[in-house]
Amino acid sequence: MKGLRFLLSRAIQGLIVMFGVSLLVFFALFLTGDPAVLMMAPDSTAQEIAEFREAMGFNDPIIVQYGRFLAGALHGDLGNSLRYSRPAMDLLTERLGATALLALSALLWSSLLGFLLGAIAAVRRNSPIDFAIRVISLLGQAVPVFWLALMLIILFSLNLRWLPSSGYGSFEHLIMPSLALGAYYLSAITRLVRSSLIETLGENYIRTARAKGLTEWRIVVRHALRNAMIPVVTLQGMYLASLMGGALVTEIIFAWPGIGRLAVEAIQNRDFPVVQAVVLFAALVFVVANFLVDVAYTWLNPRIRL
Amino acid sequence: MKHLPAFALGLALALPATVTFAQDDTLVIGRSASTNALDPGFLREAATIVDNIFDTMVMRDEDMNLVPGLATEWTAVDDTTWEFKLREGVVFHNGEPFDAEAVKFSLDRVLDPENKAPTISYIRTIESVEVVDPMTVRIKTTAADPLLPTRMSRYPAYIVPPKYIEEHGRDHFANNPVGTGAYTFVDFVPDERVTLEANPDYWRGTPDIKTVVWRPIPDATARITSLITGEVGLIEDVPVDLVPLLQQTPDADLVQVKNGGLTIYLGLRMDKAPLDNVKVRQALNHAIDRESITTNLLGGLATPKGTQVGAADFGYLDVEVQAYDPELSRQLLAEAGFEDGFEITMQSSFRYMKNAEVAQTIAQQFEDIGLTVNQQTMEWSVYTQTVPFEGPIYMLGWGSTQTLDTDAAVYAIMKSGEPYSGARIPELDALLDKSRSTVDPEAREQILFDIQTLASEQVPLITLYQEDKLMGKAPNVDFEGRADARIPVFDIEMD
Repeated sequence: MKGLRFLLSRAIQGLIVMFGVSLLVFFALFLTGDPAVLMMAPDSTAQEIAEFREAMGFNDPIIVQYGRFLAGALHGDLGNSLRYSRPAMDLLTERLGATALLALSALLWSSLLGFLLGAIAAVRRNSPIDFAIRVISLLGQAVPVFWLALMLIILFSLNLRWLPSSGYGSFEHLIMPSLALGAYYLSAITRLVRSSLIETLGENYIRTARAKGLTEWRIVVRHALRNAMIPVVTLQGMYLASLMGGALVTEIIFAWPGIGRLAVEAIQNRDFPVVQAVVLFAALVFVVANFLVDVAYTWLNPRIRL
Repeated sequence: MKHLPAFALGLALALPATVTFAQDDTLVIGRSASTNALDPGFLREAATIVDNIFDTMVMRDEDMNLVPGLATEWTAVDDTTWEFKLREGVVFHNGEPFDAEAVKFSLDRVLDPENKAPTISYIRTIESVEVVDPMTVRIKTTAADPLLPTRMSRYPAYIVPPKYIEEHGRDHFANNPVGTGAYTFVDFVPDERVTLEANPDYWRGTPDIKTVVWRPIPDATARITSLITGEVGLIEDVPVDLVPLLQQTPDADLVQVKNGGLTIYLGLRMDKAPLDNVKVRQALNHAIDRESITTNLLGGLATPKGTQVGAADFGYLDVEVQAYDPELSRQLLAEAGFEDGFEITMQSSFRYMKNAEVAQTIAQQFEDIGLTVNQQTMEWSVYTQTVPFEGPIYMLGWGSTQTLDTDAAVYAIMKSGEPYSGARIPELDALLDKSRSTVDPEAREQILFDIQTLASEQVPLITLYQEDKLMGKAPNVDFEGRADARIPVFDIEMD
C-alpha cells in the first residue's frame, strides 16, 4: 500500500514535470522572434508575410496559442510542420525506428563490453590491466563524439574502404554511428560496474562465498554482479531515455535519418511544431523511464521508500 | 573469457562489409539539405531535384540563354499580354497529355491565395492565364512585365498534371510527383534518399544516366568523404576550408563555378546619420581592399565586383571595382565633417564563405580610416530577423542566379521601403520603377545600365565580391556546374 502511494505520487510529479516542459517549450520558442518572416521567401511583400502570419495563427494572443497547443498535444496533435506541411507527430514517429535502432545497438554493445571490462578491472583491481581499462574508459568519456566519428570515417571509409561513410539501410551503415555513440556509454558503464563491483566484493556474503571455496569468477558472476547491477541498470535506463530523444551530433555526421537530425534541422529552420514535438517527446521518454526505474526500485528493493 | 573483449572487437571489424559503390549508369548526388516534399509549386527549398522531374515552358541552356522548353515560341502580344505556343505530343509520366489546360492549372494553383504558395512572389505579376486553344496560352500581367518569359523558366512555374493532382490530392502529389521531365519518380524516403529513373519517352530523348539517387548528407566532411570513397558521384556545397581535401586527392575533382554564388555586400541604413551622407558612403566604399580579401582570405574562390549584377544577367554593366584608397577615404570623411571618424555598428553572420573572418578584416580596414567599429556576429536565424532593421551596416549575400536579370540582383536591396533594402535614394527609386514598366528590351537594358552607374556613384550599398559556387565530382562524371545552380542530370555524362 505504501509502495502504491509512492508510485502514485511519482506519477503525479511526472505529470507536473510534463506540464512545466510544455510551458517552457511553448514560450521559449516565441522569445526568438517572428517565424513568419523566416518562413517566407526573402522577396515576399510585407502583406504576404502578414497574411501568412494570420493564417498560421501567430497573431492570436499568446495564451490562446498556448491553450490551442496544449489541447492539441493532449490529443497527440502538435500541428503541422511549417517546412514539410505534414503533421509534426508523423515526422517524429517516422524517425523513431532509426533513432531506436541506433540507441539500442549503441547501448547493447557498450553494456556488454562495459560489464566485461568493469568486471575484469574490479577483479584485477590495481593491476596493470585495471589501470589500462581505467585509462581507456577515461579517454572514452573525454573524447568528443564528433571527433571520434570523423576519425572512424577517416579510418574505415577513407583509408580502409570497409564501411560506407554515411547513410542508413544496412548493417554496415549501423556500425560506425553505433561505435561512435556507444564509446561514451562504454566508458561510463565500465567505470560504474567497476566501482559498484568493488564495493559489493567487500560485502560479508562474498567473504562467505569465498570461504565456501567457490572460484573467483563464479563469485563475481553468480553473486556479486547481480547485486552490483542495480545502479548500472538505473544508469542504462536514463541513458536509453536520453538517447531516444535523438543523438544530435552522431545523426548529423552519419546522415542518420533519426530524431536528432530532425530536431537540428527544425531548429535551424525555426520549424516550431517540430521542435516542440521533439522536445516534448524527449521529456516524455525521460519521465516515463524515470517512473519505470522507480517501479523497478520498489520491486527490487523493498527498503526504498520516500 | 579473458579474451572476449578483443574477440568481440575483432568480430565487429571483420564483418563482411560490402560497400555498394556506384554503378556505371547510376549517379548518386550528395546534398547538404534534406528534401521536404517534391511539389514544384510549393517548394520551400531550391528546386534542384524537381527540376529533373518537371519541365518549364521556357528553359535555359548551358550558357544561360532562354530556349524553348514545353513552349516552342513566345511573343508579347501587347504590353501586358504574352502568348506561348506549346510543344505537341508531350505526355506526363502517367500518360496524361500536356496541353494549355495543364499550364493554366499549374500557374493558377500557385496564384490562388487560398493555397498560400511560399514562392508566389516569383510570379506575382500574373493577372490571369487564358487557354486560347489546346496548344496556345495567353498570360496577362497586372502591369508590363518584361521578365515574364524568365519567370516561366524557374520554380514555381513547373508544369504539373491536372487530372493526376485532382484525383489524388496535393499531399499525395508532393510525395509521388508526376511530371513531363527527363526523370520519373521512384521513391522518396525522408532524410534518406530520393530515387529517380530515366524517362524513356522524354521529349528531348532518353537520358544516358539510368538512375539518379539524391542523398542528404548534412555534414560537409562526411559529404566529401563519401565522394572520395566513390559512394557518391557528385556533391553540392563544398565549404572553402575543405577545398584542399578535394584538391589533394586523385579520387575527386573540385567543381568551381566562377561567379555561380552569391554577391556579398554591405547593406547601409541610409535613414540615419552618418550613412545618409553620400561622402561617408563613398569613404567606406574606398576603404575596403577587396582584392586582398578574395585572394588571401578566400583563396581565389571569389571575385571582386563593382556591381551587384551578375555577369550572365540581362542588363549587366561591367562597372569597375572600387579602388582601394584609404587616403581618399580619409579625405572624403573630412569633407563630410568627420575628421575624427565616428563609431558605428557592423553586423554579420556565419552564412557565407569565411563570413566572420571577412567581417573582421573589413572592420579593421574601417578602423584604418579612423572609424570605431562595433562588430556583432549573430546566428543566421536571428540575423535574418534583425537585418536590415538594425544595422546600420550589415553584411548580406544576394543572388540573381535563378532569374539572371538585373532586376533580381538590385530591386529588392536598393529600392526604398523594400524589406531587405536600407537605401533611400529617390533618383535610384525612379529608375528602378521605370525598369519594371519598360517592356522594350533595348530601352530597358539602358535603364538597367543607368541604375548600375548611379549605384556606383551614390553607393546605396557596398558591393564586395561574388562567391564561386563550389561542388565536388568524381573524375568519371562530366559536369562543369551551372551559373543557375541547377543540376540537370539529363546533360551529365559518365564514363
